[in-house]
Amino acid sequence: MGTGADVRDILELTGGENDGPISKKDLINSDKKKSKKTTETLTFKRPEGMHREVYALLYSDKKDAPPLLPSDTTQGYRTVKAKLGCKKVRPWKWMPFTNPARRDGAIFHHWRRVAEEGKDYPFARFNKTVQVPVYSEQEYQVHLHDDGWTKAETDHLFDLCKRFDLRFIVVHDRYDYQQYRKRSVEDLKERYYSICGKLTKVRAASGTEPKIYIFDAGHERRRKEQLEKLFNRTPEQVAEEEYLIQELRKIETRKKEREKKAQDLQKLIKAADTTTELRRAEKRVSKKKLPQKRETEKPAVPETAGIKFPDFKSAGVTLRSQRMKLPSSVGQKKNKAIEQILMEQGVDLNPMPTEEIVQMFNELRSDLVLLYELKQAHSNCEYEQQMLRHRYEALLKAGSGGGCGGITGAGTLASTPGGDAQSWPSTDDIKVEAKEQIIDVVGAPLTPNSRKRRESASSSSSVKKVKKP
Amino acid sequence: MGTFKVGALVFDIGSYSVRAGYAGEDCPKADFPTVIGVTLDREDGSTPMETDGDKGKQSGTTYYIDTNQLRVPRENMEVMSPLKNGMKLMFEHYNIPAFFLCKSAVLSAFANGRSTGLVLDSGATHTTAIPVHDGYVLQQGIVKSPLAGDFMSMQCRELFQELSVEIIPPYMIASKDSVREGSPASWKKKEKLPQVTRSWHNYMCNCVIQDFQASVLQVSDSPYDEQVAAQMPTVHYELPNGYNCDFGAERLKIPEGLFDPSNAKGLSGNTMLGVGHVVTTSVGMCDIDIRPGLYGSVVVTGGNTLIQGFTDRLNRELSQKTPPSMRLKLIANNTTVERRFSAWIGGSILASLGTFQQMWISKQEYEEGGKQCVDRKCP
Repeated sequence: MGTGADVRDILELTGGENDGPISKKDLINSDKKKSKKTTETLTFKRPEGMHREVYALLYSDKKDAPPLLPSDTTQGYRTVKAKLGCKKVRPWKWMPFTNPARRDGAIFHHWRRVAEEGKDYPFARFNKTVQVPVYSEQEYQVHLHDDGWTKAETDHLFDLCKRFDLRFIVVHDRYDYQQYRKRSVEDLKERYYSICGKLTKVRAASGTEPKIYIFDAGHERRRKEQLEKLFNRTPEQVAEEEYLIQELRKIETRKKEREKKAQDLQKLIKAADTTTELRRAEKRVSKKKLPQKRETEKPAVPETAGIKFPDFKSAGVTLRSQRMKLPSSVGQKKNKAIEQILMEQGVDLNPMPTEEIVQMFNELRSDLVLLYELKQAHSNCEYEQQMLRHRYEALLKAGSGGGCGGITGAGTLASTPGGDAQSWPSTDDIKVEAKEQIIDVVGAPLTPNSRKRRESASSSSSVKKVKKP
Repeated sequence: MGTFKVGALVFDIGSYSVRAGYAGEDCPKADFPTVIGVTLDREDGSTPMETDGDKGKQSGTTYYIDTNQLRVPRENMEVMSPLKNGMKLMFEHYNIPAFFLCKSAVLSAFANGRSTGLVLDSGATHTTAIPVHDGYVLQQGIVKSPLAGDFMSMQCRELFQELSVEIIPPYMIASKDSVREGSPASWKKKEKLPQVTRSWHNYMCNCVIQDFQASVLQVSDSPYDEQVAAQMPTVHYELPNGYNCDFGAERLKIPEGLFDPSNAKGLSGNTMLGVGHVVTTSVGMCDIDIRPGLYGSVVVTGGNTLIQGFTDRLNRELSQKTPPSMRLKLIANNTTVERRFSAWIGGSILASLGTFQQMWISKQEYEEGGKQCVDRKCP
């Protein structure tokens, strides 16, 4: 594989320009002249080496011109090709070198370019060490004396720290147990950091507050103990913990449901109370005497009570019967209930829409809905009370079989009808059964409620059936 | 720019084979068994070779490595070895300029790109689990078990004895006829065989058994079960003397002893640890803060781990034994070369680093410090 330059070299002909060893510039950056030319042509020529599509993305025909002053004066998009073989080979020499990172000044040999003779060994700069403080005998006697540590042991510790660059785990591994006592990693760290702290304090110039790294050995020990326990858990313990977490979640959701129900109930009751009070207040008091009270009482009526009839003020002509129409927010069941009660009482389902009748009819229906809701809530509460009573009795039986814990639990349950179920972490067989029972029973309230609703609906339909013939 | 590589030789002396070569290459140039053949002179003039002989001739063997296998001039070459013995020999006998020792576990980890991990080395004589942290071996966590390649060979030998099959090494066979499966072999012995020593004959038989071991044995995925094993496909194997047979359940039963020594025959008591236990015990002896790091890079090396199914079974066992939150990663190279020679490859990598040049123990340091400088400078 001879190139022109090599052949000339062998035949000892002169004539090649730039004789002598090749430099990096010759190989790679030989196009400076050419690049200047391309910068002068400012128009839409795409730079050599740039792909057509890339150029099309940047500069389409009629849009902006490329910038006048290109920022990059080197190669641009051209891929650099190293021109090998054009000049004489740079000679390599087997030369000795010393590594400044070594302490003994040993001389090794390696191949290196002649041009780089004399330069430092480049990898020596990677020789970084950790700064481990060194104390004198005097300093030790005065400041660093400790009962648990002899001077020899402290020296050994510091020697290891220096050798292993403060890798305490390795230090702990190589610590001499036969000669000194058995130390844990926290002991070693504690001693080291306390010495460092004291030395910085002592050596700091007076007036300055040096920053000291405080090592909390107690915390580290506790943390590691806890990690050990966590690590050594058996699969049964893990499964038990999972189970308990799930139980907790179930209980929390149930609690929330119950609270929500209670709140709804309260709203209903409040609504019922306020509407009745309003009515009474209106009947009792004449208009003249208490106009102000009425105004203040009215906003207290919660919106959820009964049906809110839309009060539309439309321009132009409207039929009053539109006002009598039930809003679509009233559900099917409530509708049915209203119809049923109206029929029972013998009230016409669609009365003549005079002003007074319309208003009273709306009020009546609103009250009917309220009544219906209250009845529902009442039956729910009754049902829950029954359930809890059953549970209490079941627990009594279970409690009498296996101790008094069940009774106290059941006692607290009975006292809060609608209260929370208690989760018992004990693993007694009987109590586990009772727990299962509780879970089954409490988990079921949804179905009986819906059953109850269906029953009421069916009862209304059954009433209808009776009425029809 | 320039190459800063100092010419270096790397030696890895194991109990089964010695690997030797140049630093910077990706596999050793010389890989030969660690058995010293010493020729004895007998009265009748024959010179049989005795393999279990006196080890005092070790310098003769290393002489063999140096000049015949590697063809290396002895000046100006530094030597790196993963073993601790022979340093004095190196410096004084061979006049080398620099020397370095490194534990093979650390080098195996380096060869796999890790400086922290648990190195599980299952070779010929031992199975060891060595925790390596930040490039240093934690000596208090090393767990050793003698259940390894040689143990397998012994069990195979017993299997053949049970089947009453004779192991005939190839050097004795002049010709053989093909026989049906399972029927006794018919072969003709070579005439004019030299009078070989028993140790050499044993060595040759061992070679046959090791070949059987490497090709036939397999580790099952789950703990050994008779019915499952009976359903596994059989492997056909032919011994040098012509005896051929299909091996089914036995090929799973024998390596089971590595993982579950309670059923293995020939073991005194049940105090041996299976491979999975070796690993977990070793990690358990380390500080809890580094355990996730160790489990996250379990490096599997050693010739014995090349048995089919070894790494899968090991993975399964470890994932059962570790807590579920622990991330477990097994690093096992797939090629034979990399797994058997990973310590050598690590040495080659280390010796070719530019930053390694400050770690050599030069002749001058050795003269000043003696053997203690090895303890100080080598991890």
